[in-house]
Parts: sequence; structure tokens; C-alpha cells
Amino acid sequence: MHCYHCHQEVTEPQRYTTEVLGEMRQMCCPGCQAVAEAIVANGLEDYYKFRTEPASRADEKMLQTTLDKLSLYDQPELQEEFVTSDAEHNTIQLSVEGISCAACAWLIEKKLSVIPGIVQVGVNVSARRALVRWQQNRINLSDILAAIEKLGYHALPFQPQQHEEQFKQTSQSFLKRLGLSGLMTMQVMMIAFALYFGLFGNLDDDIRIFLHWVSLLLTLPVVLISGAGFYRGAIRALRAGSVNMDVPITVAIWALFIASAKATVLEQGEVFFESVCMFIFLLLISRYLEHKSRHQAALISANMSQYVPVTARVIQDGKTTDCLAKTLKPGQVVLVRSGETIPVDAIVTEGKSYVDESMLTGEFSPVVKQSGDRVFGGTINQHSALTLEVSRPLKEALVNQIIRLQDQAMLSKPAISQLADKVARYFVFAVLIIAALTYGFWYWQDNPDAFWIMAAVLVATCPCALGLATPSALTCAMASLNHRGVLLKRADLLEVITRVDQVAFDKTGTLTQGRFSLNGIHNLSDEPDAQLLSRAASLEHYSEHPIARAFDPYPGEYSVSAITTQPGYGLSGEIEGCCYRLGSARMMRHAVPESLGECNVFLENDLQLLGAFSITDSLREEAPASLEQLNFCEKLIISGDIQQNVDAVASQLGIEHCYAQCTPEQKLQHLTTLQQQGHVVMMVGDGINDTPVMAAADVSVAVGGATDLAKNAADIILVTPSLALLPELFKMARKTRRKIIQNMAWALGYNLSVLPLAVAGFLTPWMGVIGMSVSSILVVGNSVRLLTKRSSS
Amino acid sequence: MSILYFLIPIAILLVTVAVVVFFWAVKSGQFEDLERHGTSILFEEDDVKQEKQHKEKDEH
Repeated sequence: MHCYHCHQEVTEPQRYTTEVLGEMRQMCCPGCQAVAEAIVANGLEDYYKFRTEPASRADEKMLQTTLDKLSLYDQPELQEEFVTSDAEHNTIQLSVEGISCAACAWLIEKKLSVIPGIVQVGVNVSARRALVRWQQNRINLSDILAAIEKLGYHALPFQPQQHEEQFKQTSQSFLKRLGLSGLMTMQVMMIAFALYFGLFGNLDDDIRIFLHWVSLLLTLPVVLISGAGFYRGAIRALRAGSVNMDVPITVAIWALFIASAKATVLEQGEVFFESVCMFIFLLLISRYLEHKSRHQAALISANMSQYVPVTARVIQDGKTTDCLAKTLKPGQVVLVRSGETIPVDAIVTEGKSYVDESMLTGEFSPVVKQSGDRVFGGTINQHSALTLEVSRPLKEALVNQIIRLQDQAMLSKPAISQLADKVARYFVFAVLIIAALTYGFWYWQDNPDAFWIMAAVLVATCPCALGLATPSALTCAMASLNHRGVLLKRADLLEVITRVDQVAFDKTGTLTQGRFSLNGIHNLSDEPDAQLLSRAASLEHYSEHPIARAFDPYPGEYSVSAITTQPGYGLSGEIEGCCYRLGSARMMRHAVPESLGECNVFLENDLQLLGAFSITDSLREEAPASLEQLNFCEKLIISGDIQQNVDAVASQLGIEHCYAQCTPEQKLQHLTTLQQQGHVVMMVGDGINDTPVMAAADVSVAVGGATDLAKNAADIILVTPSLALLPELFKMARKTRRKIIQNMAWALGYNLSVLPLAVAGFLTPWMGVIGMSVSSILVVGNSVRLLTKRSSS
Repeated sequence: MSILYFLIPIAILLVTVAVVVFFWAVKSGQFEDLERHGTSILFEEDDVKQEKQHKEKDEH
């Protein structure tokens, strides 16, 4: 049984149902049910009819907390950064998570467009973004975000990266040049066919000359406008004192064009305008493909830089006022309530609480903070209110220092040398030399066709298929991986992955689940386990400590009174008139037997110790199997956690090398040492403390549920939180490399085999063009095979 | 065959129109999202309110 909304397993049949499209449908959770009901109530059932991908699972608890926070986005100081407004309307770009097919876009547009005050909604499926225009006096931004949230998508304003606009412009100019050359090529080919038949006789000279002139006229814009990019590339390369593929392309285009134009003007000789057009058209297709895959990757990585504002509550003259964290100055006093994010680095002046520093250290066990302790911006206050004195402005906060470390590390990232570039350089030299020699030889032989033979050599050996070999394979591989939940920010990474010989993992949250769960019970009472567990769960409901969440899956059926909490120890409460204490061994009044050393939570009443629970951060289910599949490279752990915990995980997974208790700087050092030893290292992580080392690694992977910053630093993002995708990634990378080599072998093989024919003068330029086209189509066809389902299994 | 002297210039003219239309389409962002609009015909546009809004938009 699968949820009708998100296609995940339904664990409680008949519990959550909604009528959709005339039938009762099963849902997996109240979140999905709420979303489905909202969709039906708005008359948008068509969504289910036409969607091609399941929706993402809606989390009801998350929904409520997100909705509560949205009002932050109405503050004018915040809005000025990403909202553009004119006299009546405001416009904003939102990145929308959860869009998977065209039906999602329709759903969002349809729902928003009926809300009064919203003037325009445009959803872009491939970029996963929405453009919204609204009347500021009729509706708030937070209401718009809430409306999208209620449909099961997460929309947030984001800051587009600067180069994005540039990318878009290049994209448009590419498309224009491609369209122009396509349209013109069709016309020129049509006329060329007439001329081919003219070769057999019955074509008047007048008409022939007229057709030549028409072809010249139609080819002119293709050569001047569509081909311009190649000339610029060639000139740039020559200026830099090297050659690239653009050089022989430019020579071939202009040689053919000038010779054909000369033949047209002098009314004698052959014209090859159709060859020129076809040549440019095919080359542009390959370049456009390459550009598009890069553009797509850039768009997706830009979506990651969502803007989440941090606000603070400042105490001044006994009154509290809200302000933005970035305006805080050292010395100001801030109040942070339970559950709130600490806005900046500060020192505790009043209160005692647990602080969750997992976003900085990667370790989720909370740290006790009291008067005089330092706390860091971005961490979360979990227990009770704290009064803080700001010690550093936001710009110098620890989070931002780590980001700067990451930026520096990024610069030291090893450059990727592409196979195609290397091959092309030698190839180009050879082609130019052979063409020149051919011309020289035939000229010396007094052959009147010497020039045409040289042109044929250049066209026949055109690295068009070679140029397509890499980008077409990479684009297909990226699309295929994307479909399976692996997002690549750059396609050329696939080449690096094949050379990876060391994979470094972060521990908490990457290899493990990153949260506590119940591992074992030692029952010392005469009650059944379930009852003992139920008592503990009832008590733990009142605790804010992350360990308490390990008890969440178990029903707490008892009502508890007279609860007292002792931070750092545990809590006590009365159940059915009897006092129970739950917490660490230090809290127990009865002696704890040594045999229970592995347990860390104990339950007792006034008479005896009732039970002991072992609560640990357990491994991700798929971790052992997935790591086993990575047997071709060495694995290691670089963690911020203490040695004992790291060793435990390492021995479970059979990993020999591990580094424990590392700060972000030390992690980075370990990695650079490995790289200096000549290893190609992949880093898999999830926390902010991993970001510098991820930025410096040859390839970095952020696992699902990673912090935004980690996703930002990573080259590859696993969308579904499963390590099982890692071996798939390696497999795909190797398959892609094989495809690239096949493609290159074909392209080069073809070129080399026709070269002697061209040099000997058996090949006219138009034959060269047809051969080149067929060769290119074969290469693309071979790459497209990466997309098939069979290759994915 | 002299009809060619008349027909081919017309063909050139039509291609020019096609190129201009294509450039306009690219510039106005018609190719921004190729996944989305292929299926838009499947969805019913029965909402009167929305049509009204479209009209309002045109007037702006």
C-alpha cells in the first residue's frame, strides 16, 4: 500500500484518507492528507491526473513551525534585499523545493492566482523557481509563502548569484545563433539540392548563378552572426599562445566561405555554402548542449543559497525590541528564548540551558551553557531562556569565519583537466599541419583543386564529433543521476570521480543517523518491557534533551505530575502516586551494576532500579552495505566526535583509518596532507564544520538533510538521505567515462580513416560534411544510451 | 523557370520573418522552461476569476 500523494509506504491503512478524483485514497500521514485535502478543496484535482512524479512527503509538524516563522519575511529591512517594487506592485523570485513535474507548476500557479492581491505568478519547472508579483497593500509576502507551504512545497526568497544573469544572456544568444543557423541551413540545403541535380545537366547557367547568389546571401548571416563565437574563441586561444578546437573550425569556415564566395562572384568553380552552414549548425548544437548542462547545474546550486533571516530580541532599558541579527553591536544585551536560534557570538550573562551546537561541530549532543560561557551564532537554545551579551558582530561570528575558511579552501581545489581538452590540443596541431602539407603538395603538383582538397581535409577532420563526445555523455549522465536523486553541480566532476582513491566520511549525520535512538533495554523490574518503556516515554515527553527524542516512537500512556528537571542529569516525576527518576547514572540513588556500563539512561523508583536503556546514535541502515560496495577505494573517517565513538563506528563498518576530535581547520589539514601524498579524495559530509574540508576536496558530497551551508560547499548533493546512492554515483561515473572513451575512439577513428581519402583528393567538402554529421549523430546516440532504464538497474 | 526569380525572394522574405519571430520568442523567454508548457494544454482553464485577472494584467 502506497500513499496516494507521495507514493511512500502507508503504515497505518485506513487512518488517513481523502476523496480524490471520485475515489477514497490512502495517505501515509496527516501532512499528506492535509495537502491533498487543500488541493481538492481548491478544485485542483487535475494535478493528480497529469503529474508524472509523486509529490514530496508533507510533514505536518514542520509545516506548523515553518508557518509560524514566515511572518519574519514581512519586515521591510529584510524585504529590501530581494523584493523589487514599483508604485503598486512588489516582485520577488522564490526558490521552490518539491517541484518535480509540470503539474506542480500548474498547481502552484492555479492556487496563487485566485488569491486576491496576487497579480502574476510564473513557475519555472526546470529552474524550480517562481516569480510572484503582488499588490503590497492587499497581501503580505508571508501569506504568499504560507499558501505555497500549504500545498506541500517550500518556498523561500533567495539571492541569485551574480553570474546567473550572465549565464541567462549567453543562453539566449546561443539559442538565437542556433535558431538562425538552423533556419538558414534549411534554405541553403534546399537550394543545394537543386544544384546537386543541376550537376546532371538541365539547369540554366543564369539560374545556377542566381542560386549561387541566393546561397551566398543566406549563408552570410550564418557565417557572420552564428559563427562569431568560434572566431572569438580562436582569437582568445591564439593570443594566449595556444590552440584549441576553435582554430581549425575558424580556418575551415572561412576558407570554405571565401572560396565559395569567390566562385560565385567570378561565376566559375564550385560553391560549398551548404557545407559551411551545416558545419556551423552542428557545432552550435554541441556547444549549446554543453552550455545548457552547465547552466542547469548553476541554477540548482543558486537555489541552495536561500535566505533565512536571523532576528534577535534586544533588551534596552528594561524593554525588549526585535531587530535583525546583522545590526547587533558588541555589548548589547539579547534575550534568547527556548527553541530559538542564538543570533550572534555572545557570552551568557544569565540563565542556564542546553545549546545544540550540531550545526557548527556536527555533534548533536547538546552542551550545557551557563553564566560566563561562550555561545555561537547559529546554534539553537534548547531548554530555557538565556540572556546574552553580544561579543562579536555577525560579520565576525564563528559561522562566518568557517564560511571564509571554506572560500579559501575552494581556491586550493585541484583543477580538473579534461580529457577532451588534452586530446584536442594535439589533434588540432596535427590537423593544421596536415592541411597545410596537403595544400603545399597539391599546389606543387599544379593541381587546380589544391585549395578544395585542403578544405575537404579541414572539414573531414573537423573535431565536431570529438567536441560532442564529452558534453553529450556528461549531459545524459547528469540527467540520469538527477532523476535518481543525485544532483551534480558540475558535469565535469564525473571524470574526477573515476580517479577517486580515498573516500573520507564525516561520522555524525553522515554515516550515522544524527539522532539518538533506543538500542537496547535491560529490564530489572518484574513488569513487561513495553510497560517499562511506556513509563520512561511518559516521563521523557517533558524533557527537551535530544536523548528524550529516542523515546518518541513509543507510546507514553501514563499521566505524570510533579515534574522537576535537573539539567545535565535527568528528570523526576510522579506516576500513579509513585516517584520515578529517569536520567544518567549520576542521578540514580540506587547503585548501578557494572554490567550495565553500555547503558546511559536509567529508570528507578523509590524502591529499586527498574531498568536501563542504551541510547546511541545508530548507523544509517544502508551504510554497511553501501560502504562494502566501495571496496575499490580506501575509506576513512574524519570526525569532530570523541575517539571512542569514532572507533566504535569505524569497527562496525570495517574502516581502518579514522581521525577524531577534529576542528574544521584540522579536518582541512588532514585532507590537504592526503592530497599532497597524491591521493584523489572524495569528502562526504553534512555539517557546517565539514564545509571547509568539502570545499577543498577533489569531489565533495552532501548527504540528504545536510545543512544549507554544506549543500552550498558540496559539488554533489544526494537529495534522498541514503548512502546507497554513492556506489551508484561511482558506477555511473565509470560508465560515463567508458562512453566518453568510446565516443572519442569513434570520432577519432572516423576522422583518421577519412583523412587519407581527403588528402588524396577523393573527398569533396560536401561528402566531408555528410560524414561528419553521421559521425556526430552516432556519438550522440551512444551517449543517450546512458539515459535508458536498463543502465540504471 | 523564371518563376524562381519571384518565388525565391519570397522564400527569403518568409525566412527573415521566421528569424525575427524566433528572436522575439527567445527574447521574451519562451524557451526558458521547456518542461512546463508542453503539458499546459492538459489542464482546464475553467476559472472565470483567473481569466478576469489575465485581462487586468493585460490592461496594466
